[in-house]
Amino acid sequence: MDNSLILKEARKYIKDSKNCKKNIKIAVLGTESVQYFVMVLKYLLSKEGIYADIYEGDYDGITMNVYDDNSEFYMFQPNITIIIPSYREFKESPNILEEYSETEALVENGVKFYTNMFAKINANLDTHIIVSNVVIPPEHPLGNLECQTHYSQNRFLNAINEKLVQEKEKNVSVVDLEELASCIGKYSWFDYASFFLTKQPYKIDYVGQVAEKFVKQILALKGNIRKCLVLDLDNTIWGGVVGDEGYEGIQLDPNNAIGEAYRHFQEYVVKLRRRGIIIAVCSKNDENTAKEPFIKNKNMILKLDDIACFKANWNDKATNLKEISKELNIGMDSLVFFDDNPAEREIVTRFLPEVYVVDVPKDPAQYVRELDQQSPFEWLQITKEDLLRTNSYVENAKRVKLENQFVDYDDYLRALDMCGTSRCIHKCEVPRFTQLLNKSNQFNLRTRRYSEDDIYKMLSDDNYACIMTQLDDKFSEYGIIGCAIIRKQGTTCYVDSWVMSCRVLKRGVEFLTYQTIVEQAADWGCDGIEAEYIKTKKNAMVSNFYDNLGFIITGQDIEKTEYAIDLRDVSIPRFYIRRTEDDGC
Amino acid sequence: MDVREKLQDIFRELFYDEKLVLTNDMTAGDVEEWDSLSNILLIKEIENEFGFEFTTEEIVSSKNVGDLIRLIESKAINK
Repeated sequence: MDNSLILKEARKYIKDSKNCKKNIKIAVLGTESVQYFVMVLKYLLSKEGIYADIYEGDYDGITMNVYDDNSEFYMFQPNITIIIPSYREFKESPNILEEYSETEALVENGVKFYTNMFAKINANLDTHIIVSNVVIPPEHPLGNLECQTHYSQNRFLNAINEKLVQEKEKNVSVVDLEELASCIGKYSWFDYASFFLTKQPYKIDYVGQVAEKFVKQILALKGNIRKCLVLDLDNTIWGGVVGDEGYEGIQLDPNNAIGEAYRHFQEYVVKLRRRGIIIAVCSKNDENTAKEPFIKNKNMILKLDDIACFKANWNDKATNLKEISKELNIGMDSLVFFDDNPAEREIVTRFLPEVYVVDVPKDPAQYVRELDQQSPFEWLQITKEDLLRTNSYVENAKRVKLENQFVDYDDYLRALDMCGTSRCIHKCEVPRFTQLLNKSNQFNLRTRRYSEDDIYKMLSDDNYACIMTQLDDKFSEYGIIGCAIIRKQGTTCYVDSWVMSCRVLKRGVEFLTYQTIVEQAADWGCDGIEAEYIKTKKNAMVSNFYDNLGFIITGQDIEKTEYAIDLRDVSIPRFYIRRTEDDGC
Repeated sequence: MDVREKLQDIFRELFYDEKLVLTNDMTAGDVEEWDSLSNILLIKEIENEFGFEFTTEEIVSSKNVGDLIRLIESKAINK
């Protein structure tokens, strides 16, 4: 959105929305003025359905807010704490020609600004911290030596930024403002006139882009992440129309500027796939014609194997996107749609508002920049499972073929030759465990969200067990695709959380997890299991899950159902997963 | 439209007051929404509208609307 428009709309929103109901508490602390940032942050979050009650720290008050145990900041009890320090926090800079070890010591000392602060906040609050690194100012009094000497301010601040990432706590995410400012251009970013007048730390025009970066981080924290890029074909990944020009006639020539532009875009898409983004195709074409370039055109960088779901037909794109979401078993809100045709984009925007529609520029040479700048795939972490997933979607097609050969579903499950592990997690598995817990919406019984930090705490508490289940079959490795958190409460075992990835529905994985839960309950000496289903918009799939396992309903209202079962009454449904043991990592 | 009218439109939109009428001795104290922060926006809007940039000193030394109008007029001529 236009820079000045965003400010006007944000101001208006703040004026009109004073009394609306809030659903999250965020504290914003900064070295310099954060007023405009807070205003725009509130506005952009509201567009995502998040209505934030925001505590705005005092000017130059990071230290003041954090080190006073009775500060308003702590009273406020924020769910999320945003900290935006400026390079001006680091008052001590290296001296010219000083020894490397002295500069190192200064960096060590500088980064304590962060680590001490995180420790203090974590001692007082249960909050997630989103901190920005510092934007290094453009001045280079040492000229080219600025990047060649360890004692330059530039190198010093760079070292602090690096050290911050190495030494941050588990519940801290870093927003790369230094990178944003570099992409924009530092001379434009730093607006010294406004800084001297009002202490606005960067040019007011960029407050929208800055807030957007934090919004994406907050959405990722809440588990709202996008997983799949849906691409059109003609004039999107190649030049021209394959139906008219044939697989050899389309423009992908590495010796032609236009051809290079499309190839550059394909290379970027491959990078996305490598980091775990699922790639799908949605094109108005005959399927065979559409697939021909992938198979026969040697200038294609994307291959058919990269495409997890290929929809080439004459149906409207909204219908096809729904099919893609269904086939891949991911929500519509996981999709990012990239199509050169504005009419198609308009239709998708109107009929499928959950889909992220990229505003594709006219010039294919700008495709990469636009997609990269909009950066719709902002995740909290990348795990092994994310990378395995893109393969397993491709393998799925083969699995469906196999399924069609069998009349009896049990025969099919046997033929898949599945083996699985189910046990308490190790420390190294916490990131993936937390990720799955937070992003599963459909097979999720209580939709409780936990931070990595929460899980680490449970690991050291004997009354908790965090159980993971992983699966392999003859086609692919899935990694960890099931999680449960159970708690010993006297003589009962309470199922606090139970989620499963929808990629392995109807494979019996949940029964393997159930077996582990029952074993753990018996180990604890419990005589029964208690559980609960809390209804959400997305988890209807498991509304009768406990009924089907033979649990008895012990309480019920519109939003939730409580269940219990005596351990003696438990019977584990049949499944076809060979149970294996492993040592984990 | 002269400078005063253009400036008045900017004020009306920025400070949410369609009936606002500029007077020469008007200051930030007289307009509810006019504070140090919205002042940045005001400066930005004026710069965009008239196509020049203020120096820091010019911003600091404009004490009321009359100063501002005189400043804009002189800058517009010297552009």
